[in-house]
Amino acid sequence: MSEEKRKINRRDFFKGAAMGVMGGTLAMMGIYSYAPWRRVHFPKVERKLADIGACKHIKITNISETSWFENAHLMGDIKGAGGLLVNQYDYNWPPFGDGSGLGKGSYEKGIAKIKHLLPDKLDEAWAVAEKLAVHPENAGGYACLIELEELNGQKHKYLLDTGWSYKWTDECFKREGIDQMLKNREIEALFISHEHFDHFWGLPVTMKYDPTITMYIPEGFYPEGLQYIQDAGHKGKVIKVKPGLNPVIAGMASFVFAIPIICRVYGEQSLYFNIKDKGLVSVTGCCHQSIIQFAETAYREIKYENDNLYGVYGGLHISPFEDWDPKYDDLVISLGKYGFEKIGCNHCTGILCAKKFISAGYPVVEGTARNRSKDKAYLGNGDKIGFGTEV
Amino acid sequence: MERFGTNYLEERNLVARWPQPIPALVNLLFTLVIFYVTWWIFQDPRGWMRMYTPYVGYMYTRWWLIVLIWMVYLFNYWPFKRSWLEKTHPAIKGVVLTAVSFGVLYVLIKGFFEGLLGNFGLAYFNPGQLTKLPGVTEFFAIEYAALACLMFAAIASWLSPAWVVACEEAPWQDLKQPGKGVSILVMTFFLSTVIYFMTMHSHMGILYYPWQYFTSIAPPYWEKFANTVSGNFHVSWIMCCTVTVWIVETIWGRYPFNLIKRNWLRRLVAFFGIMAIAFTLHFFLYFVQELTWGPAIRGTRRAFAPDWRWLHVGEMAVFFLVPALFITFYCNNWPRRFSMPVNVLIRTAITIVAAILLYIFYYMTSHHFLGTQKGFSHPQQFPMIPTIWLINIWLLHHWFMDNWPGWKMVPKTADEMAKEHEAATAKIRDVRWNPSLGWGLGVGAVAGVVVYFLTIALLPVFYAAIDIIK
Repeated sequence: MSEEKRKINRRDFFKGAAMGVMGGTLAMMGIYSYAPWRRVHFPKVERKLADIGACKHIKITNISETSWFENAHLMGDIKGAGGLLVNQYDYNWPPFGDGSGLGKGSYEKGIAKIKHLLPDKLDEAWAVAEKLAVHPENAGGYACLIELEELNGQKHKYLLDTGWSYKWTDECFKREGIDQMLKNREIEALFISHEHFDHFWGLPVTMKYDPTITMYIPEGFYPEGLQYIQDAGHKGKVIKVKPGLNPVIAGMASFVFAIPIICRVYGEQSLYFNIKDKGLVSVTGCCHQSIIQFAETAYREIKYENDNLYGVYGGLHISPFEDWDPKYDDLVISLGKYGFEKIGCNHCTGILCAKKFISAGYPVVEGTARNRSKDKAYLGNGDKIGFGTEV
Repeated sequence: MERFGTNYLEERNLVARWPQPIPALVNLLFTLVIFYVTWWIFQDPRGWMRMYTPYVGYMYTRWWLIVLIWMVYLFNYWPFKRSWLEKTHPAIKGVVLTAVSFGVLYVLIKGFFEGLLGNFGLAYFNPGQLTKLPGVTEFFAIEYAALACLMFAAIASWLSPAWVVACEEAPWQDLKQPGKGVSILVMTFFLSTVIYFMTMHSHMGILYYPWQYFTSIAPPYWEKFANTVSGNFHVSWIMCCTVTVWIVETIWGRYPFNLIKRNWLRRLVAFFGIMAIAFTLHFFLYFVQELTWGPAIRGTRRAFAPDWRWLHVGEMAVFFLVPALFITFYCNNWPRRFSMPVNVLIRTAITIVAAILLYIFYYMTSHHFLGTQKGFSHPQQFPMIPTIWLINIWLLHHWFMDNWPGWKMVPKTADEMAKEHEAATAKIRDVRWNPSLGWGLGVGAVAGVVVYFLTIALLPVFYAAIDIIK
């Protein structure tokens, strides 16, 4: 009898224990998990303070920030093809049009129509694309020229991105004299921020003038993109930059973020410049990682003048299609505390966002709205900005 | 008197055609094939209809789930007669009832939300109205409208089953169909509307420039607490409510609320208890992300943004639902041999382990076969869509098709039902207060605290040891 009682007790004990374990765990989950004292579990931010050196100043020429001219056409195409996750090479956009219609293209079929014309007969190649692709007239592109002066006076020129439309990019290159700089081998390297159509597909235009230029691409390019570098006629060195910090010259480094991006793209490369006596400047193609993540990464990773975040140039990828989301308001609200002194935003930042920045009192450098840029709220095509110098 | 499908699920006897695990594996394979074919047809960005835009596909997925719940839990298969349910081949039932659910879904989205609400109430439910705004493209008009619709769905997918699982259909439990279904539908729809306005309307209000101060609270009241103005904070806990309702209904068998004898008290405690458990999950899964990826940084994007972290709480939570439903539907809620609390603890532990494995598997591989994007935090990466799509298929397979082909349906005899009822009552009676249970409860509670702190200590180490995104 007593043994039977002990068995019953043991069973009841386990019943209670099972109830208690779940109750205790759930209670702690509720009480502790969002309480302020949970922060003791967060690792302390250890600043690596990598020394990338410093430079005297940089000047940036906006070759083109208008990646496309009509949001409605671009988004209509994206919608028609199946949304933002469709592979960018399948949209049948120029230059990879094959005549089969929206959402039915591929790199292989598209490049087959124009490969024999690259990189020298771009007018002919684009004419083919205009016949076979979807909305060729909507293609623009993003590219900028960065001129850096070292502390010893030595000057360097770099391209960040190379546009989309051959016709538009070539026109912009000629407008800003980039064609001659490339021919003269004045531009030392082409940094590709990411594989997106509007930053990368205009590659043959750069190749037309300097096929030997060194290219820095972020790790994560898909096979089509890697093939396009060859098919575009590139004969120089291609450096695949791994995620993390990659110093280039004194005062300049690139940083690759391993992040997924719409239209099946992976990885973005952005640039840091440490300006003597001023602070850090970030120059971005689209900044899909977000400007605040870029700033926080700089804080963790590198040493910069006066521990000051000095300036920003480029696309900040907030409302590229003039869409909006409350999370963008989080950015607008939070950006102020980082203390940037000069904000030269454009492109995928969105005009609406630039206006919200201006309303919030941020030091946005306004533009001239020339050369098909739509609004003075941000730096437009042909506008220039200097960090550590005036232009 | 025609009973339609009242108590149909409880009164059917599902007899396995082969010894386990064969029927479970056969059904898993069968439903996965249906999942993949329908995913390709409706959702896949490389497929036919490409509804994974993502919000359009997500909206239809969420509302389809609710329509299935309405048809079975609220309306008990009405207007389909009991004899039809019992005698028709499962495949035919599956096709017919699924077709009806699609019809209801279409009328609901196009008729009620877009047509009625969108044209006569809130413009943001109708893409056509939204495109009248300067600068809003057709794509984002459709996405915004779908977002509003699916946020409503998130709430309804918690409240509709909660009224049955927690409130036991009270006070309409004795009504005949369709009176009962209509009553619960009206009540849960009303509550969903109230909660929608209190949680999601402000999110929609600040989508536009300038913020719609005069029609929605802006900035929203949760901004400081949640560290974001985004309504994803609410998506998170509401999603956790949905998951908890189904956990309670399936692997917990309505435990521990079924231990409360007094009807009104049990129903009240169950309704708010489910919410309380959901909130613990809501906070814990946010903390899990802080422990593995570091604290969120407001204003940033992707994995470090608080709004995405809250959304990801909901995404993580839904991974728990998949194994929980599988255990109940295809494993007959194994194990059943121990006392109710021990059974529930074991099932919960299995579910947690399976959910973690599924999470890892999903993020390691899904971009290879679902057409989604590699990575955790892509704005178009919505694991809730494929997981809920699979859950929908399992629900229709279990509810409409009687687990065919792995099982066949035989109506239970009155004797079988009486025995089953007695066994269930005995299980509840078995959990009664005594000193041994009290000691166990105390030791268990301490062990629960230890489990919690061990978990949060080991999580960063565990995460660092696994390379999920290669």
